[in-house]
Amino acid sequence: MKEKDAYIDYEPQQLIMYVEKEDGTFGPIQTGSYITKNYLDDFWEKMLKLKNSLLEQLKKNEITPIYFYKLIHDFNDVELARRTGIPVFKVKRHQKVKLFRKIKLSDLCKYAYVFDVPVSNLFQAIVVEDNENKAETDASKQPILVKQTRTENPFVVITKIEVNKK
Amino acid sequence: MIIESFKHNMAAHCESGTLTALIKHKGLEITEPMIFGLGSGLYFGYLSRTPNLSFPMFILRTKPGKLRKKIAKRTDIKFKTQRFKNKDKAEQELDRLIGIGIPVACQVDFYYMDYIPQWERVHANIHFITIVGKEGDEYLISDSYYPKLARIHKDKLRKARFAGGYLAPKGFMYYIESVPESIGYKKLVPLAIKNTINNMIGVQPPFIGVRGIRTFAKKLQGWPKLTRDIDHLSHEVMKINIFLEDQGTGGGGFRFLYATFLRQASEILNNNELDDMSKKMMEIGDGWRNISYFAAKIGKNRDLGPEKLQELGQMINERADAEENFYNELKTVVRNI
Repeated sequence: MKEKDAYIDYEPQQLIMYVEKEDGTFGPIQTGSYITKNYLDDFWEKMLKLKNSLLEQLKKNEITPIYFYKLIHDFNDVELARRTGIPVFKVKRHQKVKLFRKIKLSDLCKYAYVFDVPVSNLFQAIVVEDNENKAETDASKQPILVKQTRTENPFVVITKIEVNKK
Repeated sequence: MIIESFKHNMAAHCESGTLTALIKHKGLEITEPMIFGLGSGLYFGYLSRTPNLSFPMFILRTKPGKLRKKIAKRTDIKFKTQRFKNKDKAEQELDRLIGIGIPVACQVDFYYMDYIPQWERVHANIHFITIVGKEGDEYLISDSYYPKLARIHKDKLRKARFAGGYLAPKGFMYYIESVPESIGYKKLVPLAIKNTINNMIGVQPPFIGVRGIRTFAKKLQGWPKLTRDIDHLSHEVMKINIFLEDQGTGGGGFRFLYATFLRQASEILNNNELDDMSKKMMEIGDGWRNISYFAAKIGKNRDLGPEKLQELGQMINERADAEENFYNELKTVVRNI
């Protein structure tokens, strides 16, 4: 690839490309990401659509929170089982609405750890209307900020909602 | 504290970048393409039946960790590697090493690297970073994919080092004990190239090497049946671009990086034929880059009917043909070195 064809002006995501330079030598240049610059909006739209569709199914009790987060994190059952340490057959059970109600709290904690959310978020969806349907690339730029802080109690989290003054 | 003498640089790929930075820090001058080439990093594999993957994927370099193992075997660079069962011990050992001024490379789950933009972060236990300091509860990180030194909270790093699942890091870390004064390139370059040729056109399973590229072209036609809806298919097709360009390849699915290795090898060995091969590899990389642009375009437009997927498959098959010819020619060149 020629050096002049490789430059992408996109500061938020920089990467190193190896190119043929003007003088014929091969070497690295630092440039921006082509796909992120041109197609990031499309990615956010798809994610938002997926989240909203899963949330609708969750509200109608058609899926379980485990299934919701599994898809968001792009895990399959085997990977989720290995990450949580919960047997695969149980992971499959926990995705069935009828059997989810029998889930142990200890298993919920393992899921929450892997999904990187407080355990309480497995029973609630925090939706901020002003932020809704905005395919914003940076959560810190959204008009309303939702900050969740863990406490020493593994089951309790403090959720703070504030206006973004930036 | 921070290890001031460590020089942070971005690199094309996290594993070769981390290795290069640590070797340079120890005093041996070497480039990232040379590390990648000497470690026979170039590869192709189409993984459709790995139970841990939620969707088929292709890989363009050898298994994570193999690059370091090959460099260790082929050169006199001595690595000290450690894995841990106990998270506290892993953290204590890391702190001890940083405390005595040794930068340490750690294997982590990329998802938890929260200094990286949100859209880039995916669960992949195959990311390598170098820890170069600690201030309070935060570690200072040199990450090949980030322009400056980053910071990460110790709890996040612990989580990233002990994420479970496929290729779980299990607290894996390494540092360099010693480096030789020089590397015997004359002997190593042909050996490393032969290894790469064997990976690509040697006797391999049908999903590896050039045969793997053809398998990818064929199996791609069946992707619509594996996806939930058109958006999911679009997402997976657009990931072809990310795998080829953005996920630490140096562009063109590592082919530009390998072309640079061949160019540098030709200069060291004063071999014009290798130089010609480096130009050919650059052209092969351009073909891969065209594939990545095409995949991104049809994915964005949701233009993913059978004809477009066939067109994409055809482009991939052309790369397989070009690479097969290339490695056969390279085989002859290497025989004469």
